[in-house]
Amino acid sequence: MTRAHPVIIGVGRTKFGEHYEREPEKLIEEAWLKASVSAGLERKDLDAGYLADYFLPITNKIGIEEGFLSELTELHIPMEKTRSFSSALLNACTAIQAGRYDVVLVGGVEKMTDRWDKIRDDLMLLEDPWSYYAGCTPEANHELMLREYVKQHHLSGRELETLNIALAQIAVKNHKNAVQNEHAQYQREITVETVLKERKKAQKPLGLFDYAPVSDGATAIILASPEKAKKRTDAPVCVAASASATDYVTYPAREERTGFIASMIAMRNALKMAGIAQNDIQVAELYDQSTLLEMVSLEDLGFSKRGTAWQSIAESLNQSQRFYRVNGKELYVNTNGGLKADGNPLGATGGAQICEIVQQLNGKAGNRQVKPDADLQYGCASELEGFGTKAYVHILRRGDCR
Amino acid sequence: MSSEPIERRVSYIGDRLRGSKCGICGKEYFRPRDYCGTCGRRSFGKMQDTDFFYKKGELEVCTLVKEPTNKFTRLESYVYGIVSFDNGRVRVPGRLTDQLLQDKEIDVTEFEGREVVPRFRRRYAVEQSDVVPTIALTFTFADEYYPFQEHQIVKPRKECERPGIVGYGAYTSKFRIKDGAIERSVPYVDEDSITAAVEAGKMAIVHSGIDPLMMAKVYVGSESNPYAVKPIASKVAQVLKLGEEDKERGVQTVDAVDTEFACKAATCMFKDASALVYYPSARGHYTMVVGTDNSQAAPRNEPGGELDFFVGYGASAFIFGMNDVIAEMEDWCSCTSDTPDFWRRDLESYPRHGGRFTGEPAYFKHVTKAAEKLMDKMRLQPKDITYFVSHQPNVAFPVKVATQLGFKEEQFMPGLQVARFGNTYSSSSPIGLAAVLDIAKPNDRIVIVSYGSGAGSDAYSLLVTNQILDKKDRQKFTICYQAENKNIEYIDYETYRRLKLGM
Repeated sequence: MTRAHPVIIGVGRTKFGEHYEREPEKLIEEAWLKASVSAGLERKDLDAGYLADYFLPITNKIGIEEGFLSELTELHIPMEKTRSFSSALLNACTAIQAGRYDVVLVGGVEKMTDRWDKIRDDLMLLEDPWSYYAGCTPEANHELMLREYVKQHHLSGRELETLNIALAQIAVKNHKNAVQNEHAQYQREITVETVLKERKKAQKPLGLFDYAPVSDGATAIILASPEKAKKRTDAPVCVAASASATDYVTYPAREERTGFIASMIAMRNALKMAGIAQNDIQVAELYDQSTLLEMVSLEDLGFSKRGTAWQSIAESLNQSQRFYRVNGKELYVNTNGGLKADGNPLGATGGAQICEIVQQLNGKAGNRQVKPDADLQYGCASELEGFGTKAYVHILRRGDCR
Repeated sequence: MSSEPIERRVSYIGDRLRGSKCGICGKEYFRPRDYCGTCGRRSFGKMQDTDFFYKKGELEVCTLVKEPTNKFTRLESYVYGIVSFDNGRVRVPGRLTDQLLQDKEIDVTEFEGREVVPRFRRRYAVEQSDVVPTIALTFTFADEYYPFQEHQIVKPRKECERPGIVGYGAYTSKFRIKDGAIERSVPYVDEDSITAAVEAGKMAIVHSGIDPLMMAKVYVGSESNPYAVKPIASKVAQVLKLGEEDKERGVQTVDAVDTEFACKAATCMFKDASALVYYPSARGHYTMVVGTDNSQAAPRNEPGGELDFFVGYGASAFIFGMNDVIAEMEDWCSCTSDTPDFWRRDLESYPRHGGRFTGEPAYFKHVTKAAEKLMDKMRLQPKDITYFVSHQPNVAFPVKVATQLGFKEEQFMPGLQVARFGNTYSSSSPIGLAAVLDIAKPNDRIVIVSYGSGAGSDAYSLLVTNQILDKKDRQKFTICYQAENKNIEYIDYETYRRLKLGM
């Protein structure tokens, strides 16, 4: 039996970047207040809360995040904690569809710069311990995946050069998009040369400008059952699909090492849930923890055939620098600047993706607003936990869902 | 603080690279498992133990790490990648070790596809008070300094009348520092006396062809154990799976002990190790004596710094038994006196020594006494002895003592290895013995006299048997191979001090 789809009735977020003077509670407070204002509701209207964060216990010695959120909202409602924002959203959707709650706060927060000297070690908690013992770094698996990709698809010479430049162009495009995003961590443009220079300096296939930064920030959305949503908003965006999948935590032990099986499965299930095809999606927020992951995501989510995304990227970005042309249609990716330029406060990152898709679908993205060849109706956000150990895909649809 | 239970479990699996193989479909796993994901419940009880300790793998893909996470910063830059075993049936993460990259321009993609062997090393840096973490997810290229060697268990053919050496191995690192005429072996930054002891023991097992489960006792002599309290021998026993293994409890049925007596900490146990295998109820069993040192010396401008011109790094291991003996132990003689010529007080980082007194009366008196007494006892003249090996803290002392005892150059030069590896302390005369065994022929007689400050000497007479020829081809990693290897890397003094200090 299919249940009615939950509706997003409000979104809010902070600027991403370093918030040296602000505690994590100040960040989540700002995001939650903005979301409640945009949804036009009071804290007492909430039935439950889901809060996402990865590292608050480590970075800020906050062990039971639910209590922290309870104190902040002065509420005693049920609350649960997850790692990623997408996980919080999936749980909230399930609860609403089960008829358990009507109005739910979904939030995400991270304060990574509070532990700037140890955060790269902390990030290793997202990998398997054996890789860590062998000397893995937060960046190493991305570079190994790129090597696997190049070898598997026998890329060399000119093709390899095009691929490398295509990856640089992804960073350039995302920075360009972020210029129009007032909340982005980096509101400045960069050039392909800058990206290549950093790679050369590091003697590595991916350099500083290929990776998303370390960030602080918070995001929040208000999710409601269709009945409650009707009374509160006349511009509803519904969650047409919410899917997730898992994979081995040990990257070297996986069969597929040129992409993420978890993403492929989550997308397949999400499309089925939403009852649409890939081509119906016009805007996508992809998890570009590195430029490579934006490219690989295009393949994992089925927008490009395996081993060909770099070609589509190179061809598209050489022309417009705004969208990818895949399967003869325009696909706008990471219009907020992506993790690369908008920022990547882990627990809040998925919230920024959802906020962006909601604003795009509602036509409220300001200077970033995309105008695809057909009316905007569907957008999707994909988020990973760890290096593809978990994948989440949410498909959002403008208007009510049946 | 490191977590002791985690250290125990990680080292139990990771030091040996233990895994499982499904007895039904053949699927392989790194880390032991009770069932196969493909075959499910059917595979319960049908999983076979595997390990990759004596195997070689392939470095499939790799990348350069120039900004490691905090515990790895002492390694500066290194290559990290994915290593596959058994034609890609199992893959593990791995770090290439023994690579001084610094700011060198390298294309790591050229490393891909090359064969690698697992090495046993320190995992990363920890506080001085913590348990030293180790791992074998570190690799070196199979066609470079450290060769790939399989371990094949060979059924013993002949029980001998007297106990003796049934196999041996030595390990020195690929890095050297050169000072004038003397070259010295230098540990890589993730090496110490524990890792060298394991490597030497591994080589001895390869050479002897014994089944390690028949090991009754392992002795490790060292004066540079990273721990004041905690044996190296227990690590050697676990990693090399010495004695029978109780997998349920993770315990080896073997005795293990560390000994300390400056540079004779290992040689003094040769007779004990031989005596034990001669004991009636221990027949068919073996014992192993390891001498290992990352020889300590203060920096050159500090007290004790004069040692810094001579110290080396290395280990050697000798397996004793009654079966297929390559060199019978004919007799021995030891002597001791309380001579404080070299010492290190507890909590001091470096040893001190008694200046000119270390030669006369310390070194010469004891070496001469032990050698003369043994030769008297056995009624041997220098001409009855093919090779004479003595403790070698420098080139001058062993040459002088051998000449004084009436030996000629052809008798003592083959065992004089200090100019190639430096003074490897507990392993100093044993490496000399290994070098001589590498070239010895049946019926050669070898006399080895160790010296340990504090002070004392052990003299042994060994008679080489026919068996030595059978086992010769099993060991590629000979003393000569290590001394004349084309992959040796020479380093400067600053690098030497940094590497020697370790992680």
